[in-house]
Amino acid sequence: MEKTAVATPIKFNHKHLSPKIIIGQTILTILIIAFTIFCFAPVLLTFISAFTDEMTINQNGFSFWPEKWSMTGMNSVLKYGDKLFSSYAVTIFVTVAGTFLGLLVMSMYAYAISRKGFKLTKFLSIFLLIPMLFNGGQLSGYMIFTRYYGLKNNLLALILPLCVSTMNVIILRTYIVNSIPGELMEAAKIDGAGDYRTFFQITLPLLKPSLAAVGFMMATAYWNDWQNALLYISNDKLKPLQLLLVNIQKNISFLLNNTNVPASVRAAMGGAIPQYSATMATVLVVIGPIMVVYPFFQKYFIKGLTVGSVKG
Amino acid sequence: MKGFFSNIWKHRAHVVMALPGFLILFFIMYVPMAGLVMAFKKFDYQLGIFASPWCGLDNFKFLVQSWKTFVNMTKNTVFYYLMFTAVGTVLNVTLAIAIDQMRLKRAAKTMQTLMIIPVFISYAAVQFIVYAFLAKDTGLINNSLGLNVSFYSKAAYWPWILLIVKIWKDTGYGSVLYMSVLAGIDTSLYEAAEIDGANKWQQIKHITIPSLVPMITVMLLLSVGNVMRSDTGLFYQVTRNNGILYSTTQVIDSYVLGQIFKSSNFGFPAATSFFQSVIGLLLMLVANFTVRKIEPENALF
Repeated sequence: MEKTAVATPIKFNHKHLSPKIIIGQTILTILIIAFTIFCFAPVLLTFISAFTDEMTINQNGFSFWPEKWSMTGMNSVLKYGDKLFSSYAVTIFVTVAGTFLGLLVMSMYAYAISRKGFKLTKFLSIFLLIPMLFNGGQLSGYMIFTRYYGLKNNLLALILPLCVSTMNVIILRTYIVNSIPGELMEAAKIDGAGDYRTFFQITLPLLKPSLAAVGFMMATAYWNDWQNALLYISNDKLKPLQLLLVNIQKNISFLLNNTNVPASVRAAMGGAIPQYSATMATVLVVIGPIMVVYPFFQKYFIKGLTVGSVKG
Repeated sequence: MKGFFSNIWKHRAHVVMALPGFLILFFIMYVPMAGLVMAFKKFDYQLGIFASPWCGLDNFKFLVQSWKTFVNMTKNTVFYYLMFTAVGTVLNVTLAIAIDQMRLKRAAKTMQTLMIIPVFISYAAVQFIVYAFLAKDTGLINNSLGLNVSFYSKAAYWPWILLIVKIWKDTGYGSVLYMSVLAGIDTSLYEAAEIDGANKWQQIKHITIPSLVPMITVMLLLSVGNVMRSDTGLFYQVTRNNGILYSTTQVIDSYVLGQIFKSSNFGFPAATSFFQSVIGLLLMLVANFTVRKIEPENALF
């Protein structure tokens, strides 16, 4: 494949290609293809296993080329019905609300600390930086959240911890300073626009590439957050998607470690040890939406994610 | 002083804009810092952290009592940090340069898209994918190579498994940051070097790598504060929090997380957490101080 590709010289912007360059490019391309396969194969295996017949996995193991395909895995995921639906709703709500709240709060903070002549800039920058150097850790955070804020079984416990991060504010601030001409904002001011209007009508629209990149990363962090869910959410109605996966795993190890589980408990847990294809189908249902959305955001990554100096 | 207040008043809109972020940081990041005093308290959940009675250094006695567990998880935490940071940085930079050098830009872009995908899969999902490869009877590796290795009961395999999983998950995305730097290099530098007769390797060595150094320094510095912290999911989920594997897989974060669910005696976890936070802070300060001595431009603060 790579050989035919290398043989089409129209795509190269150099007029003359020495054989040395062609050999070098071929080797480079092969290595990159190999790494791509290494990265993508496990994702592909997930996809294939979700549609593999359960008996085939039991007998021949997981395979990229299964003997028999089947929809039973997918069907058993759909049997979760309401549970799956409410988990989706929770995850989507937390992701959307958290991302928008975070972007708004962080870009306002970034804008404020990038104003020249504002005397609190230094203090606010240091205040932002300290959490990166020192933090309370999970245990203390857990106690504060549950004992003092009463956030057990409250979706705010999933939204707030991932909402403002030092790194993202720095990325946004760097973009404001380096890529949005200060004259624009000054001109707006001369034309009589207030501070808020300048921010919302001039800065925010120009910040779009950076907001897209940071926002997408935040959205994935929210979507993939299992840890806060495991710590704070025990109410079935509030369980996000990731917790479905964690619970499947819990059930598997519980059933494997306790051979004398009463039949009634087994029945309550869905009859038997969750099946391989059904598990993989659940994984697919959980990771699928990100895979679909992600290519649309990729173009913003390089443009929007430049981290500048942290110094204020 | 009057000048200060009139400055604040003039910038009151900016104060208002910074306020929500300030409050969230305060309640989410700063209050738990104060919660670290838990390490010096005889913790009672009913009383809460701040009202629980002080107990001096009693909790740190647990560190000595459970010395072996403590040393093991600290050792693992630092070991994985060093391994992941060293291997990760080298691979991220190499991959960024490799993709940047490829002349088939379209193909490079497509492959990069595929490489980044794993970073978007949560560890709660990753563990099932890893299981599909490593399971004893049904695993892809045992089946395709005709082996019968039980990976999930032998601790010695796990540093390698975790390294491979980490490379798989993070390298594609890790290289994006460096690619953004490469995209900013002035192409006239390369043209000039080519006219002077520099070959590809010389160009990479004298132009590409030096221009990546500031970013590498910033990334390393940022990571130093996290020496004592780990990618919890990797150690808690991917290993299935399996007790047999603890000797090579238990890190401070996965230990503390496990203890929260057992919720019996928080003395030892609290002392461990305190140790974790303080060591992280010290290392960060030392690293920044060192960088400032050598290359003030690249220091964080």
